[in-house]
Amino acid sequence: MTKPEGTLQLPPQMSTLAPQVDFLYYVIFWVSVVFFVAIVGVMVWYTIRYRRRSGVKPQPTGHNTPLEIAWTFLPLLLLGYLFHEGFKGYVFGAVAPDEAIEIRVRGMQWNWEFEHPPGIIELNTLQVPVHEPIKLVMSSSDVLHSFFVPSLRIKRDVVPGMYTSMWFEATSLTSKEKPLTIFCTEYCGAPLGIDNSALPNTNHSTMLASLNVVTRKAYMKFLEEGPPMPAECDGNPNPAACWGEKLRVSAGCQSCHAVDGVTNAPGPNWKGLFGATRKFVDGKSQTADENYIATSIREPQSQIVSGYANVNMPPYRLSDKQIDAIIAYMRSLNGTSAPDK
Amino acid sequence: MAGEHTDLNYLNHERGIKSWLLTLDHKRIGIMYLVSVMIAFALGGVMALLVRTELAFKGETMMEADTYNQVFTLHGAIMVFLFIIPSVPAALGNFFLPIMLGAKDVAFPKLNLASYYIYVLGTIFTIVAILVGHVDTGWTFYTPYSARADSSVVWMTMGVFILGFSSILTGVNFVATVHKMRAPGLVWTRLPLFIWGIYATAVIQVLATPVLAITLFLLAMEKVLTIGIFDPQLGGDPVLFQHFFWFYSHPAVYIMILPGMAVVNELIATFSQRKIFGYMFVAMSSVALALLGFLVWGHHMFTSGMSEYATMVFSALTFLVAIPSGVKVFNWVATLYQGSISLASPMLYALGFIALFTIGGLTGLFLGTLSVDIHLHDTYFVVAHFHYVMVGGTVFGFLGGIHYWWPKMTGRMYNETTARWAFALVFTGFNVTFFSQFVMGSQGMPRRYYDYLDQFQPLHMTSSGGAYILGVGFLVMTVMFIQSLRSGAQAPANPWASAGYEWQTTSPPHPHNFAVDPEMTRGPYDYHLCTDEELFDGLRAPEEPAAEHAA
Repeated sequence: MTKPEGTLQLPPQMSTLAPQVDFLYYVIFWVSVVFFVAIVGVMVWYTIRYRRRSGVKPQPTGHNTPLEIAWTFLPLLLLGYLFHEGFKGYVFGAVAPDEAIEIRVRGMQWNWEFEHPPGIIELNTLQVPVHEPIKLVMSSSDVLHSFFVPSLRIKRDVVPGMYTSMWFEATSLTSKEKPLTIFCTEYCGAPLGIDNSALPNTNHSTMLASLNVVTRKAYMKFLEEGPPMPAECDGNPNPAACWGEKLRVSAGCQSCHAVDGVTNAPGPNWKGLFGATRKFVDGKSQTADENYIATSIREPQSQIVSGYANVNMPPYRLSDKQIDAIIAYMRSLNGTSAPDK
Repeated sequence: MAGEHTDLNYLNHERGIKSWLLTLDHKRIGIMYLVSVMIAFALGGVMALLVRTELAFKGETMMEADTYNQVFTLHGAIMVFLFIIPSVPAALGNFFLPIMLGAKDVAFPKLNLASYYIYVLGTIFTIVAILVGHVDTGWTFYTPYSARADSSVVWMTMGVFILGFSSILTGVNFVATVHKMRAPGLVWTRLPLFIWGIYATAVIQVLATPVLAITLFLLAMEKVLTIGIFDPQLGGDPVLFQHFFWFYSHPAVYIMILPGMAVVNELIATFSQRKIFGYMFVAMSSVALALLGFLVWGHHMFTSGMSEYATMVFSALTFLVAIPSGVKVFNWVATLYQGSISLASPMLYALGFIALFTIGGLTGLFLGTLSVDIHLHDTYFVVAHFHYVMVGGTVFGFLGGIHYWWPKMTGRMYNETTARWAFALVFTGFNVTFFSQFVMGSQGMPRRYYDYLDQFQPLHMTSSGGAYILGVGFLVMTVMFIQSLRSGAQAPANPWASAGYEWQTTSPPHPHNFAVDPEMTRGPYDYHLCTDEELFDGLRAPEEPAAEHAA
């Protein structure tokens, strides 16, 4: 199967909407080229033809009302056409077919959470089946975000306090190595005075997610089994810990949690955390066991460790297997004396 | 009047710092504005270079994400509120509007001085916010991010709030002046097109700026008293803020571009020695833009979650803006026909304006077309589009105006060769910087990004290179103007052989603008009705003997 190619101006066409948008884009592009060449061409020609020469007086300006009326009102025809076609394409993108698969999108500083119909959650990755209409129902838990996939030609703001939605139908598969990128296109800031700019999902410009367009069969398998362990961890002696380490990055944990046992990031350091005694702001305490970790990920506000009262960790809805993987990773941090990456 | 020479002018009739700070002379206030906005422009320009330097390479180049966000916010806020909005109206408008009306001053000289000091006060607030605080919201202050960010946002918005009053007072003053202070014989159909443009701008300033004040006031109320207006956590609606903000800021786009167009009218007329073709159409197109400007704010919000019907209406209205913009461009080009065209440096800026504004306008078609805008919204395509309009348009018009009126304002000529080199650098640098951004944007590069994907690296590098060329151009221009002040040749009254009224007084002008109260017996572009004396540029051999003071 041949992959769609982009052009100098536009990225590859990967959705049913893209060809419509691109057609209109190029109509406007060529209209613009014609107008630009005509206007600047005539301007340059007159400038040369009527350059100042001694003894040649300028002609007083005359009137030409028909000409004025013509160039005032004739462009309306072109503008009317562009408006009409643009609105048509817009309505096409705004009204989802009834049979569309609904996926919930939640934007948060600086992660994307996706919930598939049976309640399967993905963080910063999204699997969708090819040739099926997908409706995205979106909301934000903090500030404005905007969901943008250039190759699909779709974009819509993700707004706190209301739902927004849009839909698309992908027309070709993506390879595992080259998924589409989901961008955030509404400015959403950066953490104050913390230099982790280089890491993924730590500020507006890295609030990215990967979009994998897969076959219907692969999508059904994904819905049954939940997010799979990354292939790189297959041969690893401790595959669960390897997965956990990758999750820390892909789920955005690393923007607040260090793992070297030293760094004072906004959240607790993970090294030495598992098995330690945690003291809460309400005076109670508990040993950090599997249940404690799971609760801290799913309902972080239910038990706040003293010293972190002002840290607002959002709840993360990871699958049981993913939480197992993170626990395995935390244990591996304690278990060996070897320094961590 | 043209050849008449007198030593008395507005610069030397009073001396000392106090004579400047307490002056009621619109010319001196105009000069103070000019110096202030140029300082703001330099500051905003440094911020722009910092942004482009950071983006030249992928990853961290010289600052971290949080610092970058503050720098681009300051670039936008300084350029919009401290530079572009007051640039042409408050600086050149203040200086030339009364002269071109044949008036001694604006209608309310004390109000004029007050508006300058309000501008200074607003600037101080803004600078304080920059120095003590952490303003990283972008110049649009979108909620709820701005409602939750550091409290210096309140200082910053307070600064902008105060600047708004300066803008309103200048607008009121200009409207009154144009209505009441025209010289005998200066009927509306003879009004210079510069005045028409500034007048339309003043009307927008008076009507739209209060909405900005209301919005920023509500924002401060929410922040200080935690009343829920825009923040959903308090029960507010973040999209409401966008409506409020753009209800001002879209008309503000016309506050920025109309004066640029206004200057270009004068440049084209003078340097082709012809009345602007379709004078009334051009004058009315300014008024039409001013009115339409109030009806299209929603086109900044096509992806915001606004209703589909509202979106449709805003798209349709947005296309109407193309009509008066097109009328201006077509008429300017038609004016060149059968003219006597000189390519002096101000005219280069005017022709540059036409080319760049045409690109800015045509790329507006992409953004007005709904389905295409969805793809391009909030990408570098939009960044490039508005820089083509704001810089290629307004700033080129402003620079053209400064070159054009420099001899009148300072009484000095500048080095024309250096001026052309500076133009070439600015024009090239600008296009390299921003044309590459169109391509990045249509490929999907989002704006306000501290970092980017590998695929955008070459174009970011190109854009940054262009920014440095642009920077060098401005540096050359600055040196040239300083040189002119120090050792420039004495300017004749009318170095460009213009029929414009302001050239009929001495350079620099008399403290009361004209030594004798003028009466307008012809239009400002009626070259065929001018006497040789009126068009005497101080250089060529005159037929009248009045010329011995020239050179």
